[in-house]
This record gives sequence, C-alpha cells and structure tokens, in this order.
Amino acid sequence: MGRIIVANRRGHQVVEWTDTDTEEARLQIAEAERILREAREHGCMVSKKVDGQHVLDTKPFDPSVEEYQIIAPIAGG
Amino acid sequence: MTHFNQFIIWWRRLLGLDDPYPEPADPAIERPWRKRWDFLPKRSAGPGFTRSDYAAARERAREVARATLGDDLWETLQYQGYLDLPSRITPGLTYRLRVGRRIEVLCEPGVRSPWRFDYLCINPTYPLPEEEFFAQLYLYVRDREDIIRRVAAPQPWDQMLGRTF
Repeated sequence: MGRIIVANRRGHQVVEWTDTDTEEARLQIAEAERILREAREHGCMVSKKVDGQHVLDTKPFDPSVEEYQIIAPIAGG
Repeated sequence: MTHFNQFIIWWRRLLGLDDPYPEPADPAIERPWRKRWDFLPKRSAGPGFTRSDYAAARERAREVARATLGDDLWETLQYQGYLDLPSRITPGLTYRLRVGRRIEVLCEPGVRSPWRFDYLCINPTYPLPEEEFFAQLYLYVRDREDIIRRVAAPQPWDQMLGRTF
C-alpha cells in the first residue's frame, strides 16, 4: 500500500494505491502517477519517504514507494 | 494553473484532443496548483473556510509536518521553537527556520551573507497551514538550497508569512 500526501489548505488529503495485481490497483496507480506528474508540471516539488524521513525527489513515480508528498512551489515576498 | 496551461487545455478541448489534466477520480481531492490564489487576503485559506475548517486543517497539518520531519526533528522544534540548517553552499552560514515566520540568516564572524538583509521572505504559492509549510520549507533548504537562493526576498525585519495561516 502506498500513498501520496496532497498538502493543501485542508491540511492534507491522501491518494492511496495498493500493489496487488488487480485492475482496480492498476487504476489507482495510474491515478496516483497522473497526480504526481500534474503537480510537477505545475511547478510543485515531490518528496518521498526514505528511512523514515522525507527527501525531495525528482525521479519518476514508483509504485513501490511507501509515501510521497506534493510540495508547494515557493516564491519570494 | 498558469494562463499558458489554461490556454493549452482550452485548445486541446476545442480540437477534441485528450485533456492533459482530466478531473480526478476523487473530486474531493483539492489540487491547489490548478488555481490562482493571488486574490486572497494575507493569512487566509479563502472564502467559505469556517473556523472549524481552520482548526481541522491545522490539526491535519501538524500530523503531516511531524511525519515529514520525523520524530527527532519534531521534538527539537517543539523544544527550542526553531530548527537550524547549515548552508551547503556558504560554510558558516546557517538558516534558522521558525513556524510561520521568515527565515533568519545567521553568519559566523567573518562570513559574508549573500543577502543584504537577515530575513528571507519565502511563501508557498498557495495557502497552507503554517506547520505544514514549515516542514516543506525545511526540505527545500536542506535538499534544494539553490532554489532558496534564487527565490528568497531578503527583508530587514522579521514578520509572519502572508500565504500561510
């Protein structure tokens, strides 16, 4: 089971997927991958959990990752 | 969403091509990068956000901030009220991060700061609870200091951030 934490004004919301070999799981993974790609294309960064801690990550979506988080773009001022 | 992206999506729809950003399977998932937030007053999450919405958002943000930083850093933050991160680009320069406030730049004697002022104003481009953004800013400073250097707006005084609440 993996998840994306979508940080937003609600605090956060979660998109989850399972890694079972089912059609439902494939659709969940496709949706998760699309959200991550869309966020990146709009300037967001993405972090992933590594050894209990989040690190910024630029690699393509990997369904074996336990947890991603979408990080807001930043601006000065 | 930028005007350019909106323009592209509009043209693709007009031509009957696939929408590159179709509606999510779960419409309850709010994707703040799709909207513009410039119109919002400072320290606001937007119209229609009730007092209980703010309270719930802050509570959820706290959970994520703790999970993002890990328990040790979270405890340190609770104890001392800030987290320090040494610069990887300028030895002797330290970024002091505090929840909901500008970054304070600290330099050891003899170290010259790349900025004229000691406070760096950096906001998220969409509204976020301040503890959640704190954890995100920590990741930027630690892992992508180059972005911090590029976007930071140096200021002569400390102040709360405007795009967090």
